[in-house]
Amino acid sequence: MNDAIQDEIIEQFEGLEWFDKYGLLISFAKELEPMSEEFKTEDNAISGCQSKVWIRSHTEDGKLIFDLDSDAMITKGIISLVAKVVNNRPPQEILNADLYFIDKIGLKSNLSPARSNGLESIITRIKEVAKEEADSNT
Amino acid sequence: MTDFAKDFPILSQKVYGKRLVYLDNAATTQKPDSVIDTMSDFYKTEYSNIHRGLHYLSEVSSEKYEEARKKVSDFIGARDPSEVTFTSGTTGSINQVARSLEPSLRGNEVLVTGVEHHSNIVPWQLAGAKVKAIPMDEDCKSLLDSMEITNKTKLIAIAHVSNVLGSVNEIKEITEIAEDHDIPVLVDAAQSIQHLPIDVKDIDCDFLAFSGHKMYASTGVGVLYTSNRFSDIMPAIGGGGMIDKVTFEETTYLAPPLRFEAGTPDIAGAISIGAAIDHMQKIGMNKIKDHEHEVYSYARDKLLEMDNVTVYGNTSQMCGAVSFNLDNIHHYDTGLILDKMGVAVRTGHHCAQPLMRSLGIEGTVRASFALYNTKEDVDMLIEGINKVEMMYK
Repeated sequence: MNDAIQDEIIEQFEGLEWFDKYGLLISFAKELEPMSEEFKTEDNAISGCQSKVWIRSHTEDGKLIFDLDSDAMITKGIISLVAKVVNNRPPQEILNADLYFIDKIGLKSNLSPARSNGLESIITRIKEVAKEEADSNT
Repeated sequence: MTDFAKDFPILSQKVYGKRLVYLDNAATTQKPDSVIDTMSDFYKTEYSNIHRGLHYLSEVSSEKYEEARKKVSDFIGARDPSEVTFTSGTTGSINQVARSLEPSLRGNEVLVTGVEHHSNIVPWQLAGAKVKAIPMDEDCKSLLDSMEITNKTKLIAIAHVSNVLGSVNEIKEITEIAEDHDIPVLVDAAQSIQHLPIDVKDIDCDFLAFSGHKMYASTGVGVLYTSNRFSDIMPAIGGGGMIDKVTFEETTYLAPPLRFEAGTPDIAGAISIGAAIDHMQKIGMNKIKDHEHEVYSYARDKLLEMDNVTVYGNTSQMCGAVSFNLDNIHHYDTGLILDKMGVAVRTGHHCAQPLMRSLGIEGTVRASFALYNTKEDVDMLIEGINKVEMMYK
């Protein structure tokens, strides 16, 4: 499955050196609306050794919207991309989504479970939420 | 300064097209050719199980293994090689003591310092003891005057050097206080054995634990020194190789060290520790200490000079590791960008969550040093930090 949002992200990262990639991630992080402090609770947290991620979600017209934040900028940049890709889609579509852009833009190492328990657990959480929503709709 | 790095083949490679600056030595150290060759030669020509066979190779293996034990014994100033047990590492050593002393620890207290890593906290809790920390000041120095020893204190277990801060604990003062109260002391030397000359008789501790892989030897192997005062404690693990006589009714055990080494040990690993000691002694522990002190002080001073950097912890003696954070920049971000500059550091809580809580932070960036690091490595770290700041402007 190819999708336009992921393809556009891949295009933006194409040919960039590492520093520029990180620079771009930092600028994406700055664009992401910060989560209100009151929601940065343990319940909403995906906590690893390296950086913290908070995740909330709600539905609008049957589409899922995720609100994400992190205390580390590069992590925040990556999750802002994840949000771009998964937000405003029907739960079943998110459940089936293949987030191939992570590998294509060279962030696959950030997927490893040992590294910050990061992206892997975030994607797992997103899929869980999507599954719950999809199940409750059937 | 002579180029100690040339003995370590891994250090000559480039990462991301840049010279590798390896500053994650508190996590694990790189291996010199002499250690790699010793292990390789052992497997190629000498390998066999030890203390079991009467054949030629078993004799050779046993001899090499016991030779390594003797080297460790001499290296740490033990009275006799029987005080040296090979374990799986620092964590294995500490767990072994916790298990052996469990009957006296259960329901009682173990006193530790405020800078301990989880390996010197969790095993005592698993043995049913309450872990109590000696209070410390804002520089993370233990306040020995406030040390609370009660009749429930059954052991004092302390890191020689903090794996996060590099601060050196006053272990001799602590063993003296402990002696007055007749309480045994375990010293976790995981972060000191590779940096400072150690003499267990001088320290006067009852147990000393360290890992092979942090002192240029192999992973999965370590040492537990057990003073001969404790030679009759029960072994933590039972099985083959440590028994005197077994019947279905009763078992009697061999004398130390074999009583504490059930099963087939990491023979090649133990031999690699011997080779690592040879390597360090060829240079000389005092020379290593002086060289590292020079590089370490240079790094610490440079970091302290930076307006936007916070350096944690400070005692009269520091070595090995320095922990810091850049103002308003997450340690994870700093670590990721330094990595791309070829500078390998560690970020996070460094398995010392209680210390992070007392510092009021989530984690740090830690640069940690070994004998092969130089001032040029430090310059690369500082250059990397400047680059991180530039990226965040």
